[in-house]
Amino acid sequence: MLKILIHKQVGEIFRSYFYDAKKNKARSKISSILLIGSFVLLMVVVLGGIFSVFSLLIAKALIPLEFDWMYFIVVSLIAIALGTFGSVFSTYSGLYLAKDNDLLLSLPISVDTIIISRLVTVYLMGLMYSAVVIIPAIIVYWVLIDNITLPIVVGNLMIVLIISVVVLLLSCLLGYVVAKLSQKLHNKSFITVLLSLLFISGYYYIYFRAKVLIGYFLENVLLYGKKIKTFAYPLYLFGRASLGDWKALLITMIITAALTYMVWKMLSKSFLMIATSSANNAKTQVKSFKEKPKSVFFALVQKEFRRFTCSADYMLNCGLSTLIMLIGGFVLLFKGKDIFANLIYLFDGDSNTICIFLCGAICFLIATNDMAACSTSLEGKTIWQLRSLPINTFSILKAKLAFQLILTVPVVIFVTLCSLWFIQPSQTIALAVLLFNILFTLLFGLFCMYLGLKMANLQWTNEISVVKQSGAVVIALFSCWIYGVLFVGIYLGLGNFSALIYLSIGIILSLLLSIIFYIWLKNKGVKCFEEL
Amino acid sequence: MLNIEHLVKIYGDKKAVDDLSLMVNAGEIYGFIGHNGAGKTTTLKSVVGILQFDCGEITINGISIKKEPLLCKKQIAYIPDNPDLYEYMTGIKYLNFIADVFELSEAERTVSIEKYARLFEMSDSLGQAIAAYSHGMKQKLAIIAAWMHHPKLIVMDEPFVGLDPKASHLLKQMMREFCNEGGAIFFSTHVLEVAEKLCDKVAIIKNGKLIKQGTMEEVKGDDTLEEVFLELED
Repeated sequence: MLKILIHKQVGEIFRSYFYDAKKNKARSKISSILLIGSFVLLMVVVLGGIFSVFSLLIAKALIPLEFDWMYFIVVSLIAIALGTFGSVFSTYSGLYLAKDNDLLLSLPISVDTIIISRLVTVYLMGLMYSAVVIIPAIIVYWVLIDNITLPIVVGNLMIVLIISVVVLLLSCLLGYVVAKLSQKLHNKSFITVLLSLLFISGYYYIYFRAKVLIGYFLENVLLYGKKIKTFAYPLYLFGRASLGDWKALLITMIITAALTYMVWKMLSKSFLMIATSSANNAKTQVKSFKEKPKSVFFALVQKEFRRFTCSADYMLNCGLSTLIMLIGGFVLLFKGKDIFANLIYLFDGDSNTICIFLCGAICFLIATNDMAACSTSLEGKTIWQLRSLPINTFSILKAKLAFQLILTVPVVIFVTLCSLWFIQPSQTIALAVLLFNILFTLLFGLFCMYLGLKMANLQWTNEISVVKQSGAVVIALFSCWIYGVLFVGIYLGLGNFSALIYLSIGIILSLLLSIIFYIWLKNKGVKCFEEL
Repeated sequence: MLNIEHLVKIYGDKKAVDDLSLMVNAGEIYGFIGHNGAGKTTTLKSVVGILQFDCGEITINGISIKKEPLLCKKQIAYIPDNPDLYEYMTGIKYLNFIADVFELSEAERTVSIEKYARLFEMSDSLGQAIAAYSHGMKQKLAIIAAWMHHPKLIVMDEPFVGLDPKASHLLKQMMREFCNEGGAIFFSTHVLEVAEKLCDKVAIIKNGKLIKQGTMEEVKGDDTLEEVFLELED
């Protein structure tokens, strides 16, 4: 039975390489080979290459000091972090939210068998992500040392296994915590967005500080070595185990086995309760049935807003600019003087060029506020409602457009004004910049609507395929970025061209294109929506 | 009330509905029966303006759904076979959304929501997200949404699927009352016993073509509707 379930689970992991869910048919052989090839390229060449270089940097500093054990601690911790991050959310969704949980639980299969079959996929994911770090690290180590002995080979191979098990254990623990939190939380999507943003901020903080942190670590490696031996002896043992120290290896394996047993017991005990929980289905009393009537247009915009706020994926992938620009505006209020003083110095006091750069930056920033590019597709199976209700189709489209503009235009104005306050260009230029940014935001919204209607896909099973991976979203994003680059690039290429004339051309172009897209939306866009 | 004339709907090279004509008068419950894939849902979706048809005409109280879709839709309520509602809304928010679309006053919507929610024992569930509803609860919510804005014509696709016996009984009562007050109902069903007891008129569709229609007596004669249906299907 376990074999059958594992076969099903593994098939699901790689299903997307052989089956096109959007077209609801099997992929061609070439398409599958290309997809698998690009995945291998990404994992082995790109990620593997990055971690090989990183390992080389660390190894060259630590091996001459005979701190080989610390080298393995560092690379192993990174492997564990990457592996756990890569599989924690899949543990939660794969273990507790699997759509076939009810079906499998109704069949004559033991609960433990179901859990094991689910964990196999988590294990494989963790192994894949951690191997991207640890395998290049081992290869680098073998290249650098003079003598590759049998204990080293055994120790190195054993840590690949131990790391993958530790990743599995951590993923299970964190997945369990996420599941328990999800049972208790009401505003899950907002919490998810908040946590994701905190994680992204932390990630980029470490990413940009990595060089400094590594440098600091290498400078104080002797001190850290001493501290690890004193205060984190199991870590030292792990490092020794990596080098084939039989005693350390045995102790590490016993500890790992004990932890595995404990996590297994916890999972085995809690799985049924969490997987079949209906805590979120608790009845909520409506305080009053009274609600003030709203106009149809307002009701439609409100509907779009509800759709947006109920989905963390939608908010993170299509509405991040609002938050970024809001925070950016406040940062500018406090730090703007220094930031722009440096920029003005850099551009020899040429505030006009900085204004053009500001417009380009806004083009860049608003690119991730592309709700209109996917809101039509997000109607999915509920499209029948808008089609059967007495609502003017153009009103539906206008509401979708308005929703994007409501979330984008105010923050664009805010950031622009905050920037202009410190750049202090002439009033005419300032007005032109503000007008350009507003009109470009309008143009982008209309362009997103165009893409959303032309590339609508109502047959999705997972909304992530619409909000993140759809053609409309990708094209909208890159078009916006390219427009921003071209806008700045052409200005710089023109030399001493008047900024005011350049901005005026930009304003007229945005206005003309907006009118063209608006007319399209009113006529062909409406037909497009009605034919969905 | 509802007049369908020579309706043709083609998907690719397949005629899903082929020259279908029927009329539903005010005060009538009109049953629409046929095998799976016969063209029932396509017809119903064309009536409510979801699908654009290739030939023919559909009018509601003399107004063409093709030419004046909004005027027609203001008089119609539609309940699909699988009520895919806005799962991100709570029940009460959804009903208020529908009320906003039909421009119901605060008093009108409050009275309607309270009345039908109580009838379907949904008052305690309206604060929940629709995502947490069972199929039957979604169906009940769709029924409340359909009835609350006082339409003239209600179009339903398999309305009894998923409903518990009590709700099913209530819906039948409401259908009769609605028609007694001058409304009209056009609905599809596979439950022939229900159709036989409930409908004033019935139409049988096979492979997109209407093969029999009329009053219940005209269609079934001395046989049961099931016998007639099976005979025609053969």
